[in-house]
Amino acid sequence: MLKVDNLSKTFPGNFSATVKNINFELEEGEFCIVIGSNGSGKSTLLKCILGDYNLDAGSISKHNVASVIQDINKGTIPEMTCLENVILSRMRNRSANLRFYHKQEVEIISELKELGLGLESYINKPLIEMSGGQRQVIATMMAITSNPEVLLLDEHTSALDPKTQNLLMEYTIEKIKQQNLTTIMVTHKLEEAVRYGNRLIMLHQGQIILDVKDKDKNKLTADDLFQLFHDCEVSHD
Amino acid sequence: MINELVVTGIFQGLILAFVAYGVMIPFRLLNFPDLTAEGAYPLGGAVCASLLIGGINPIFAMFIAVFVSGMVGVCTAIIHLKFKVNTLLAGIILSIMVYSVNLRIMGKPNIALFDIENIFSNYSGILIIVCIISLLVTPFTLYLSTEKGLRFRAVGLNPEFAKRQNISVSKYTIFGMFIASGFSGLAGSLMVQMQSYMDINMGVGIVIHALAALMIGESITGTNTLNKQLLAPLVGALVYQQMQGLALNLGLAPSDLKFVTGAIVLTVIALRVRK
Repeated sequence: MLKVDNLSKTFPGNFSATVKNINFELEEGEFCIVIGSNGSGKSTLLKCILGDYNLDAGSISKHNVASVIQDINKGTIPEMTCLENVILSRMRNRSANLRFYHKQEVEIISELKELGLGLESYINKPLIEMSGGQRQVIATMMAITSNPEVLLLDEHTSALDPKTQNLLMEYTIEKIKQQNLTTIMVTHKLEEAVRYGNRLIMLHQGQIILDVKDKDKNKLTADDLFQLFHDCEVSHD
Repeated sequence: MINELVVTGIFQGLILAFVAYGVMIPFRLLNFPDLTAEGAYPLGGAVCASLLIGGINPIFAMFIAVFVSGMVGVCTAIIHLKFKVNTLLAGIILSIMVYSVNLRIMGKPNIALFDIENIFSNYSGILIIVCIISLLVTPFTLYLSTEKGLRFRAVGLNPEFAKRQNISVSKYTIFGMFIASGFSGLAGSLMVQMQSYMDINMGVGIVIHALAALMIGESITGTNTLNKQLLAPLVGALVYQQMQGLALNLGLAPSDLKFVTGAIVLTVIALRVRK
């Protein structure tokens, strides 16, 4: 479903984190958590998978990928309405027609109602009029309901209050299971890293230093991961 | 006298509206700052005038003029997309090149069309242009409300996002530039028929006139919805042309109008900044 083969990407001036010799493969329905300290290359890895960068070396074979990225202004079109953003994401895997897109409004309203956050009243408002958290929810909903085979989530609940974080996380996990999505979720929260997913990859200075799955992953505790982070920092110093 | 000035202003304003659309589409919808109209407008005039002299039907001559002018926009888009040339520079280079092409097409620096039948020969000029605007701008507005139109707008607003949604940024940019330059070429073809005369220097400064019209229109209609954005070039061109007529009526010489145009543009910009 997703194969990253010997991937390397560096940036002149080192303004962005580099990644080096990354290798891993995800089967259909596999849910992989990616952790690592700031600048370890997590977002760079995701952007490489998304095709935002030309790779220095290696290759990535992937199927229909949808994503929720950290920078919400780049991950959506703030000047367009909620409806228009959602429809654009749904057309990713098909050709656009010469039919009026407003006809899909009823269907999208009912899906927004399913979120239970009252966002359906914003359907025809530009995203720019919504709060950062609301926009993040819409961006997640756009990615999940666009019928992807691979879902990339880059700290997608980071801008939300605790209650909405939980709600969105529950919604995300439910949809991932329902649709058997192959998922990569980047997170800084070690509790989330332990709780969700059947595989865990840890990056340090652009390289994979831990790659565990299933039983081995289940054995890990948040304290184990915290210790790993600590060890990395000590070795780095 | 004043009535005549007002009517001529409406006539010229409606023609200028096409160039204002030709400027608005790249600037506002595609986020592609562009000066190709400076070349596409006289090219439309040159092609139309030469075909009319050759005895071609005026409507057919206009179709050809629009297509040829549209292709200049396509060239600008390709030069930018393939060779990464700045959009403004690509448009200027093309416009300079088109000047020589116009001379080749016309065979001489000016063509008189006084005794030749044109699109305005049998019907009211204003009525004909209103019909043409309705026939072109309405479908374009409807197009922007379709799925394809949504993609078109996405390309201008956030090309990175558009690429992630598998939208071909190049395809929609080229298409948009064809439409925009086609609009400018259409204005040129209408203008030579209105004045029954084509001069090689016809397009000099046309982008500034169109920009002034666009900015005035946007100040009047606002830009917070797509429909207002699409109405702005038409409203702006009509108001701008009346302002020019008023300046003439106040006793200014036609040669002073370029100063007036610049002053109008600066005033509108200053007013926007103060808001």
